[in-house]
Amino acid sequence: MARKIGLLVMALAMVGAMCGAALAGDTLAEVKKKGVLVAGVKDSLPPFGSVDPKTKEFVGYDIDFVKYIAKKLGVKVEYKPVTSANRMPMLMEGRVDILAATMTKTPERAKQIDFSYTYFLTGQKFLTKKGTVHSLKDLQGKKIGTAKGSTSEQNVKKAVPSATVLSFDDYPQGVLALQQGKVIAVTTDESILAGQLGKLQKNPATKGKFEIPDIQISSEPYGLGMRKGDTNLEKFVDATLLEMEKNGEAKKIFERWFGPNTDSPIKRGKFKITADRMGLE
Amino acid sequence: MVGGLDFSVVRENLPYFFLGRYPKGPLGGVALTLYLAVVSLVLSFLGGLILGLLSVSRNRLIKWGSTAVIQTIRGMPLLMVIFWMFFLLPAMLGSGMSADWTIITALTLFTSSYMSEIVRAGILGIPKGQMEAAVSTGLSHKQAMTYVILPQALRNMIPSFVNQFVSMIKDTSLAFIVGVSELTHIATQMNNRTMLYPTEIFLFIAVIYFIMCFAFTELSRWLERRSAWRKSI
Repeated sequence: MARKIGLLVMALAMVGAMCGAALAGDTLAEVKKKGVLVAGVKDSLPPFGSVDPKTKEFVGYDIDFVKYIAKKLGVKVEYKPVTSANRMPMLMEGRVDILAATMTKTPERAKQIDFSYTYFLTGQKFLTKKGTVHSLKDLQGKKIGTAKGSTSEQNVKKAVPSATVLSFDDYPQGVLALQQGKVIAVTTDESILAGQLGKLQKNPATKGKFEIPDIQISSEPYGLGMRKGDTNLEKFVDATLLEMEKNGEAKKIFERWFGPNTDSPIKRGKFKITADRMGLE
Repeated sequence: MVGGLDFSVVRENLPYFFLGRYPKGPLGGVALTLYLAVVSLVLSFLGGLILGLLSVSRNRLIKWGSTAVIQTIRGMPLLMVIFWMFFLLPAMLGSGMSADWTIITALTLFTSSYMSEIVRAGILGIPKGQMEAAVSTGLSHKQAMTYVILPQALRNMIPSFVNQFVSMIKDTSLAFIVGVSELTHIATQMNNRTMLYPTEIFLFIAVIYFIMCFAFTELSRWLERRSAWRKSI
């Protein structure tokens, strides 16, 4: 019996794999025909992607990029919430056409999906209680929080091998653990940490008690994810990204979500959207 | 302010907690939790009954086959079943199935296999003499099961059913792991946006879950009393 079940499971998995492979067609033409671009986005990670409870609309940095691309295509956008753990399967199975979900470009991921040019550049840092961490040495043997399935998880294990890494479902849960003293630091991209720090600063009880020390352990280029071999859509998206840099739209979106008066102020610095291959080699 | 807690975050976003993005988007929040629970409840009642009857079948092949299915599913954590449904079903059926229905399928499969054991125990708990007496009056095995055994057995099963269903209402919260915007997911979203009020938000949804489960238990107690017929044994 057990062998029969095993065979059945294997057969099912093979059928699944075949269906998945059959899906990679010309998404650009299909999207135009359907009139809808289905975008996988984060729905609880401000300022990149979240739902505004008042208007009930998706808002954020990632959302604005998708909106612009869809507008240029002349189609509507349908947002589908994804998590760090399920976003790649969702794309590969054809449940979304494009991913705009704070995804770092890595060579491993590029084996399974294709990435656009870098539309956001950040680096991995730490959020800690003020004055507790000055260098990587202070983190050795301690507990550090991060999110499941993220590149941050792998980077910190490499940078501080002696630390215990606690993986939470999402970063805000990690920050909560930091506030309660269950971890000494939360680590991920500076942009996300800045958003969390911004919120801590707004709370009178935690104001001025947290900081992001100047320790960077990686450079994280974010790319929009598309199905492998989906060349037409990739060309269109890359051309649109370059156009957004040229006409100032990319900078405007950055200022809207990360400018000095926002909840997560960071500097764009020298970053510009270019025809780069960052993170892929 | 109640004892240092500030519930304004809950009050101001009440429609979002109850309906999610509806009408601008799909239904979410409390409404979606109830929808998932009610649909899975009806389906797993039927599923449990069928699986339970199959597992007491006199045909060995059917009996072993259904027992194997039940044991396999019962041997997995619900979270695993949800992941399986979420990643395997769409791969098999194309992208036609919505996330809500993958959750309903997972909950139904999981709860059905637990329910089937209740059904099996209920049927086996009826003294053998009942079946023998029924058959000797000229009823077929099937008729005896439908008109004599099941009516008595089902009544005995009600408390266990209610127990299982209450646990299922709470299990809908696991849907949040795959991004289905039911109550727990909505609460996480609100918490991530505001960061300042985790106690208030999660206290609020705990109360909501309690109200739902308590109301369901009371409803079934009331039904039990109303439809009480004299026990024949």
